[in-house]
Amino acid sequence: MAGIYIYSDKANIAAELVTLARQAGKTAVLLAFDQDQADTLTQCGADQVCLLQGDSPLPENYAQAVADLLTQEGADLLAVGATARGRDLAARVAGYLDCGMASDVSSLSYQDGAWQCERMLYGGAVVQGQILMGLCVVTVPAGKFEAASGNCDITALTVGADTRVSLVEQTPIVKTGADLTNAERVVCVGMGLDKKEDLSMIQELANCLSAEIGCTRGVAEERHWLPVEQYIGISGAVIRPKLYLCLGVSGQVQHVVGVRDAKLIVAVDINEKAPIFRSADYGIVGDMYEVVPLLVQALKNA
Amino acid sequence: MSVVIACYKWVIDEADLRINADLSVDSSKAKGKISDYDKNAIEASVQIAAELGGKPIGLTFGDSMSKNSLKDALSRGLEEAVWIQSEEAASADGRVTAQVMAAAIKKLENVSLIICAEGASDTYARQTAPRLGALLNLPVVTSVCNMQLQGQTLKLQRKLDDCLETVEVALPAIISVLPEVNEPTIPGLKAVMAAGKKPVTQWTGKDLGVDLQPRVQAAPLQGYVMNRKNIILQGEPAEQVQQMVAALRKEGVL
Amino acid sequence: MSDTEKFDAIIIGAGPAGSACAYTLAKEGKEVLVIERADSPGAKNVTGGRLYTYALEMVEEGLTQEAALERRVTHEQIMLLDGDRSINIDYHNPAFNEAGQVPHAYSILRARFDEWFASKAEETGAMVACGIKVDELLVKDGKIAGVIAGEDEMYADVVIAADGVNSLMGQKAGLIKDISAASAGVGVKETIELPAEIIQARFNLNNEEGAARMILGCTEGIHGGGFLYTNQDSISLGCVFMPEEVARHGQSVHQIFQNLKMHPSIYPLLEGGETLEYAAHLVSEDGFRGIPGKLYRDGFLMIGDAAGFVINTGSSIRGIDLAILSGIAAARAVIDSQDPVRVGPAYMQELNNIGLIPAMKAVEGYKDLLEIPRIYTSYPGLAADVFTRLFTVDGQVPRSLRKEIKGLLKKNQLSLWQLLKDGLRGYRSI
Repeated sequence: MAGIYIYSDKANIAAELVTLARQAGKTAVLLAFDQDQADTLTQCGADQVCLLQGDSPLPENYAQAVADLLTQEGADLLAVGATARGRDLAARVAGYLDCGMASDVSSLSYQDGAWQCERMLYGGAVVQGQILMGLCVVTVPAGKFEAASGNCDITALTVGADTRVSLVEQTPIVKTGADLTNAERVVCVGMGLDKKEDLSMIQELANCLSAEIGCTRGVAEERHWLPVEQYIGISGAVIRPKLYLCLGVSGQVQHVVGVRDAKLIVAVDINEKAPIFRSADYGIVGDMYEVVPLLVQALKNA
Repeated sequence: MSVVIACYKWVIDEADLRINADLSVDSSKAKGKISDYDKNAIEASVQIAAELGGKPIGLTFGDSMSKNSLKDALSRGLEEAVWIQSEEAASADGRVTAQVMAAAIKKLENVSLIICAEGASDTYARQTAPRLGALLNLPVVTSVCNMQLQGQTLKLQRKLDDCLETVEVALPAIISVLPEVNEPTIPGLKAVMAAGKKPVTQWTGKDLGVDLQPRVQAAPLQGYVMNRKNIILQGEPAEQVQQMVAALRKEGVL
Repeated sequence: MSDTEKFDAIIIGAGPAGSACAYTLAKEGKEVLVIERADSPGAKNVTGGRLYTYALEMVEEGLTQEAALERRVTHEQIMLLDGDRSINIDYHNPAFNEAGQVPHAYSILRARFDEWFASKAEETGAMVACGIKVDELLVKDGKIAGVIAGEDEMYADVVIAADGVNSLMGQKAGLIKDISAASAGVGVKETIELPAEIIQARFNLNNEEGAARMILGCTEGIHGGGFLYTNQDSISLGCVFMPEEVARHGQSVHQIFQNLKMHPSIYPLLEGGETLEYAAHLVSEDGFRGIPGKLYRDGFLMIGDAAGFVINTGSSIRGIDLAILSGIAAARAVIDSQDPVRVGPAYMQELNNIGLIPAMKAVEGYKDLLEIPRIYTSYPGLAADVFTRLFTVDGQVPRSLRKEIKGLLKKNQLSLWQLLKDGLRGYRSI
């Protein structure tokens, strides 16, 4: 069938992309490459789940098969969840189809017979609007659409897979930090923190706010004071909490982009010229070592 | 002798970008640079070429300004560079770039391995390596954080969102690397001096017979701006804190 | 060039001295290598500043036309500040701007100029390696035979140090000691961006003309002065101070400079502009007396700021043109000397022939003039007070100007006798 073909190695993103299809008034077909995945996807509100069965355990190796399917069915669009696997598969399909592709779109809609989207460039400093026509491919990060739900059937197809790359082993990455993406409140600490021991002060504040702790890239990748899963930014965690409170964060573009969808941004920094204040709803220009204890006190008394 | 190709891109240094009051982007004072992660790709190609007893060659697609990239790239251990020059490079989309690179690679012989960075520091679209795989009918492995050559097979570790995956692929192949894969060496004096003498082959998009029209229509760049209240709380720290707590409550985030 | 061969000359530093030297050598077919530690020439250099074009014409006739320059200086200004008051003398000479002539001086921006000049040297055949720091000099049998950069060694018949004020290479060669606080000033400078039309309106210029201004009285009594130059679409504003006095004063160099920026006669010129960069640099202040005793040893020469070639007469500051002259002199010495051992003495001879040493000697006395502390503490105030009296008409019966001036001298802690003594000292020094 024609319509929008959707793939994500994460079922929740697949469900969100079904909504994209609905908003565009199109049929939604979810792609899967193994039975378990297919079964999960039948709950995601699509019109059909298409299970492609072949000889490789790696989804990326089905790119040619997917491309053939899209051509055969006269598809309008391939929408793929923007994960490492997803981007790989999506770009390969775009290569086989020799069509246009927009990666990691920050917004996407169907207007006047064309796909209109926005992307961030230069580490998040710049936005570019793009228009794609005809059959094309997009990758979409999580959280851009509401997840759809509802039942549908599975159609299974036997296809050929690229077996030149063989899987040796997979080791899950054990995440030691908290899950920031689902946190409602996040306290973020930046390079303004003097020593690792001072994290206890930040933890106390986070506890008062029932918040998770995040940090900027330098704190995790250079100083190693917090695990890398906890750094917020364009190449780290991109989060949408209700409250994002940051301390000693200068507010570089690459970091701020990670919280741009937060409901409220509050900043404390000693430098009145720090860019963070341009990105904040409320700001205090001051020494966080003075402000944080006062804040903890005020919150306890509240 | 086998050839290892390092694809790289000459980009505008994002630190030099100026956003005007009307949000238009001013890149007139910006300096160019080799995209950050491409240095890792170049380093990787030099290392693997040495292990294979082969030749590392740099490949880049850019406008006339990208000529400045050649000396820098060649000072990093590459033996030769291939420069596809075209003013349309600046507006090329992922499809055009991959088509051009693929056409150029087809003209080179004995290509064992093509290494790209996972993404370029300006667009970070991450399309090039997978597209090249499709166009050249070569196997592709992306998100590589560790590589080991075993004879004519590459054992690669990939850093994916939830897991570390180890795969194997026989050469010839295409890979895209994450910055974790190595630490690029800083060129020394002799390397910088030698760069000027290394051969550069120059082609145009027309030479390669590629249609340079992008399929993706792009609007002009705009500075990214968030609409936030930008309220700076005044007074002594104690007062500021009181105001902040009141605001948090009012906004319903407590 | 293989590892065992060597260059005719290795030049350390791709500033004006280094590039002038490289250009001249390469033009004669010599094998030259210029090693620059910044990623591009000029990136680490700071100037007021301006360039006197005669020096470029000496490198090659017609070079000025090709150079990356800002505005032709047609308005030379001297400004005295005291408190909120200012006296500005503007000298305008259209002859500085006559068609067909090479304009006398241009304001410049170092990043642009140095990069252009080094690229000219490259075009002529010099090799320029950027982003490389020279760590040591190679010494063989008591003579400098080359340089060591990281793990690489490079040999040359002569190594020419063009690495700027407080030359590290000069110290490694044993020719100079680390600079003393008394012989160098600290200069700070801001480049403020403004559209060309606004600069032209504020300074009364057409679109190629520029203004250059020396400012006295902006340093809170500390030995030093300010400067302002108009570039194409930016203004260079800065201040030079003698650091020992700053230490005693209490306010920081940065604070004093900010006060200059906010002065009622300066601020309107900068309003609406955006600060592009803020830089600081050492400046040789000793003139002829600051030139090191020996500028060479076997296999090694110093040129430019490294050799202390800076002249400050108060109304003009010359560094870049002298740097270029010294680069040419060094190149000529290398070209004309059959025996490498003769290069040093030949260089000293060329410095005389080219007029550099005579020029510095001729203005040697200005240091005495500029060391009169009252120039910084009292005379700007006195001048402002005199003008205030002259220009005030408030209905009162005017008092005798002679008596008034006596009163003003006292107010500014001066006496007629001191004024005459300083005047005589000044007269003798010029």
